[in-house]
Amino acid sequence: MENESKQDVEIVSLLTEHQSAIRFYIASLLPGEVRAADVAQQANLTIWDKRGDFELGTNFKAWSFSIARYEVLNFRKREARDARLQFSDELEEIISGEIASHIDDIDERHEALRECMKKLKQSDRDLIHHRYFEVSSLADYAEKVGRSAAGLKVSLHRLRKALAQCIEKRIDGKGLRT
Amino acid sequence: MKSEDRDQLLDDLLEGDISEADFLRLEAEMIVDEEARGAYYNRLKLQSGLEKEAQAAAGAGASNSALRRKGSFDPFLLAAVGTLLLLVAVLAFKIKQDSAPQVAKEPVATGFGVIAELSAASWGNEVRISRGDLVPGKELHLESGVVRIELFNGVVIFLAGESEFALVSDREFRLVKGESQIRASGLDEDFTLTTPVGVVTGKGVFSVATTGSQTSVRMDQGAGIWNPTVNGKRSEQGTKLSGFETITGSVDGSLEQDVAPLLSNRDWEKELRDDRTERIRLWEKSRERLKKDQRLLVYFSMDESISDSSTRLQDLSVKKSDGGIIRAERSANRWSDAAAALDFTPTGSRVRLDIPGDHKSLTLMCWVKIDSLDRLYNSLFLTDGHELHEPHWQIVNDGRLFFSVRARQEKGSPDKHIAFSPSIWKPTDAGKWMHIATVFDGSAETITHYVNGEAVSIDQIPEELQPDKVTIGAASIGNWSDPRYRKDPEFVVRNLNGAIDEFAIFSEALDSGEVRKLYESGKL
Repeated sequence: MENESKQDVEIVSLLTEHQSAIRFYIASLLPGEVRAADVAQQANLTIWDKRGDFELGTNFKAWSFSIARYEVLNFRKREARDARLQFSDELEEIISGEIASHIDDIDERHEALRECMKKLKQSDRDLIHHRYFEVSSLADYAEKVGRSAAGLKVSLHRLRKALAQCIEKRIDGKGLRT
Repeated sequence: MKSEDRDQLLDDLLEGDISEADFLRLEAEMIVDEEARGAYYNRLKLQSGLEKEAQAAAGAGASNSALRRKGSFDPFLLAAVGTLLLLVAVLAFKIKQDSAPQVAKEPVATGFGVIAELSAASWGNEVRISRGDLVPGKELHLESGVVRIELFNGVVIFLAGESEFALVSDREFRLVKGESQIRASGLDEDFTLTTPVGVVTGKGVFSVATTGSQTSVRMDQGAGIWNPTVNGKRSEQGTKLSGFETITGSVDGSLEQDVAPLLSNRDWEKELRDDRTERIRLWEKSRERLKKDQRLLVYFSMDESISDSSTRLQDLSVKKSDGGIIRAERSANRWSDAAAALDFTPTGSRVRLDIPGDHKSLTLMCWVKIDSLDRLYNSLFLTDGHELHEPHWQIVNDGRLFFSVRARQEKGSPDKHIAFSPSIWKPTDAGKWMHIATVFDGSAETITHYVNGEAVSIDQIPEELQPDKVTIGAASIGNWSDPRYRKDPEFVVRNLNGAIDEFAIFSEALDSGEVRKLYESGKL
């Protein structure tokens, strides 16, 4: 009993530690899917349900990624998703093989993004807030701010482009200093 | 691909706003180019960062959950409150999941009309549109061939390639380039035909051709008004058109009357009819060839005129394994010939047959029209019961094809590998004929599903579930006969809600080229 609860505590801490990686991995296999977060939630559940199968001390990341991959497949089956916009097995294999080596700079990039966002106009920040947080449609928001939805889409694209460039600059600049 | 183009496509991809062609282009690049994948990962990080920032901006006081995005799950928050919260979250999610009412979504379709008929049509921009498809609202490019579009309000539009057009609404058609005829006689309101150099509004039959800088119009029936468009503005100066009067307008707004150099006076219906007759002739020819294929275990055309009995289905293959028709009714086939298909909708409908022998591989194919998938399992071809080495071929109610060969006798642990395709059918496909083929390759140990000649999924059968042969014996087309186990009545009603007009089984694995050919030679 005591061992079980010790294992549970350990699993929770591993799950917390690897949360960003699991979510990032799932998002990479489901580009443009707004419910990727739900799939990640489901993967957390499955990891929790199957925690008895995990041997402490072995590779938690690999184990949780295999469950995450399974949940992605499950989601596609359940939703009977349109297979046209789904990466080929070949690309998914490549992504699964290398993604773990691409997560180390998530926090650094997030920090850079935070700095870059400070330079934005309030209206741009509002637009981002709407796009990434609110549930109502872009069309409703367009009406509210008196712009066309197509125009807002273009603005969002420009904003992301500018932010991406700003992040790269900040990260490169840091690299130069060291 | 330039990095700027690539970044644009990555942005479109993550916004769920990418065309199929661009998606394939981007994917090909990502497979070979590490840098492209790196750019993709960085865009994903940006997206996740933006989500977190937006959430943070909403503030700690944003407990107004109705406003929050579904499924948002913040790792920072988690790390802070640790164990307890995660357990609570997990439990809460579980409860939510268990108690969430399943609200059935009403299916929605988009389009003002369907492609009623087409001959030798090829579409630009990698678009694939076949007979019975809804016409997308976007601008389309018909590279060649002739098409007949039927709008739901009764308007009929003929088009010949090469043309560019868009169905703006059920009362407005935009022809950017090409030749067309619009039959809008029965409408209560005017129909609007827009071309780059002018607009015709009226009721009747419009014949029109445009090069983009010049448009010829003739009213073959009824009357309309021509308003030229100069510098993007529609002129209020209208010219009346009626009774076979022709005009030709140019980009400068000038108008010539009684000439229509761009109109070719084609007989649209005859072109489509002749093409159809030719395709049927070719199909019949290929059927004669197919009949002699030694690999066929059974080959049925459901045409009543071929069989000499209403209850017996004549096997056209050299094996002569005739089938017995039970309850299924004759209906129109995919060429609209009466009594040339079998409709399996009446409960109990099936074709009984018996196929002897052991087989290493198997290919099953049929032309099928599905009206609905209202059973849990909708039969295409099922052996009686599901004994060792026997195949089952059916469609699940979510539209996925299902194929399996039972590989193990023991119950309990998995006794077969089931190959599911992605969903191949949705309610808007009701009434549309499609070609389905499934190849079980006993050498490669794969199962491939094909729809309209294209592979939609391929499964590698796990080693422990690889059957060493396939046997069929007593079986049914369009239903399941299972006298032995009736443990679960829910699974017993499996007759197909739809019709089949051609059905074949080969004792070998056909390759993708052969499947494609079967489809091409018999397609509408």
